[in-house]
Amino acid sequence: MKYKWFVPYLFILLAMIGLFVFRVGPLLFAGSMSFTDWSTFGSPTWVGLENYTEFLKDSTFWKVVGQTLLFSLIFVPTIVFISLILAVLLNKGIRGTTVFRAIYFAPVITSTIAVGIVWRWIFGADIGLLNYLLRSIGIADPPSWLSDRRLSLMVVAFVFAWKRIGYYMIIYLAGLQDIPRTLYEAARIDGAGPFSLFRKITVPLVTPTMFFIMIMALVDSFKNFDIIYAMTRGGPGRASTTLSYYIYLHAFELFQMGQAATLSMVLLIIVGTVSVVNFYYRSRWVHTQG
Amino acid sequence: MKRWPYARIILYIFLLFFAIISIFPFYWMLNVSLLPLKAVYADPPQFIAKNPTLHNYAEIFLKYDFLRFTANSLFIATTAGLGQLFTCSLAGFAFARMRFKGKEFLFGLILATIMIPVEVVIIPEFLLMGKLGWIDTYLPMIIPSFLIGTTGVFLMRSFYENIPRELEEAAVMDGAKPFMIYWHIFLPLSRASLSALFIISFLINWNAFLRPLVYLNTKKLYTLTLGLVSFVGEFSALWNYLLAGAVISVIPIFIVYLIVQRQFIEGITSTGVKG
Repeated sequence: MKYKWFVPYLFILLAMIGLFVFRVGPLLFAGSMSFTDWSTFGSPTWVGLENYTEFLKDSTFWKVVGQTLLFSLIFVPTIVFISLILAVLLNKGIRGTTVFRAIYFAPVITSTIAVGIVWRWIFGADIGLLNYLLRSIGIADPPSWLSDRRLSLMVVAFVFAWKRIGYYMIIYLAGLQDIPRTLYEAARIDGAGPFSLFRKITVPLVTPTMFFIMIMALVDSFKNFDIIYAMTRGGPGRASTTLSYYIYLHAFELFQMGQAATLSMVLLIIVGTVSVVNFYYRSRWVHTQG
Repeated sequence: MKRWPYARIILYIFLLFFAIISIFPFYWMLNVSLLPLKAVYADPPQFIAKNPTLHNYAEIFLKYDFLRFTANSLFIATTAGLGQLFTCSLAGFAFARMRFKGKEFLFGLILATIMIPVEVVIIPEFLLMGKLGWIDTYLPMIIPSFLIGTTGVFLMRSFYENIPRELEEAAVMDGAKPFMIYWHIFLPLSRASLSALFIISFLINWNAFLRPLVYLNTKKLYTLTLGLVSFVGEFSALWNYLLAGAVISVIPIFIVYLIVQRQFIEGITSTGVKG
């Protein structure tokens, strides 16, 4: 193909405008905003590291960071194990696999707001469906779930995991299908039972996929704004407020743009660290493969 | 080794159990959306609507603007999706088939930004939209998605890289310019990838919430997700209406999903995009 030197740039022009104006630009700008005191309606004043030092001293900030990590701590293992179980079951090639696969995937494609609202009903304290069932089996005083400050974050994390499991199941399935069937046949001839097949063949060979899924789910777990907004709005109190919700709260309800930008830098640092770890692990893995 | 005869049954029980958990909320949504208000708070709850009615749908469509919200969502998701097709296939073509300075760097930059959550850039983006005078219009929902499909560029590039050189060379012999090659050879070949890309980006924008929440003030411009949330705030007791609204936001997606299930699943998982 022959073309003048600038032709490729014309091809990527639109994408580059998008990349720099709506991604890289805002990212750098958020970085510099984090050093300012900037109310939405006023003009910015440079305050250096003050936003950062203030947050480091602020107990609510640490509570929110802790809750963000707790959310991940519930979300990630749930994803890693349940989607593995589903994938292993579906990989047996039994009748109805496609139907089950389609069903498990359904929550992935639906609006987080819509499913969040239904789950809010299900977990409702008084008219909630779950508590109705609990009462009817004789539990007189079931927990109030979303209005309980010890439980709300956990409930939201589980619901978010429910929504995302189908997605990771598909990735696992792809990984499982790469395991040669002959391995299983050989082991079976040697007398291995289904459980030891799983433990000695499936688990070790699916480990790279598992690590990949762990990283993906970890990054995924920080993007929990929609589900929190739909189910608890960060409450009761701040009990289910995570970093991404806290950013929104500062920017669009408290109108403190500077502080909100600081929080978004904290989130960026966390996500960035995870991505870097992922990058190094993957390149190492590809290397051992080659 | 002999197989345990009940293994299969237990397997099905497991699968069924998870299947019920996966779809029960949707069933419940649909069920409640068909109930009159009185039956919503009935004790015991009606697990199967006794006198199903479409009244709730008529009400939210006509009285509570959901018809307008649906149209808004449809418009935003479609334009943003079409934009992605254009932008990403053009850029994907250049990254896969052309040589230019800074190619590796720019592509690396695209990859690096894939993982960044919207929450990180929403604040400066909001100020930018304010400067552009785009607050309370559809533009903040459409233009960024129109222009940056980081995952879309990635998807199209991988597809175009695998197209054999011979196809391109035949056209070069005939003196075709790069844009002609892109338009007449590559674009038609990538119909499957393009439809996967369209589905993904339609889905993301149809389900999007943070941007509409931040940018839209006028009720007439609300998307479905925003309409739902504002309905919760105003009429929190009218669960039957609310869940009818939720059904509307879910049903069109489900219908398309049932028709093109394979492309859906492959499209979404191949790019690592959040649905």
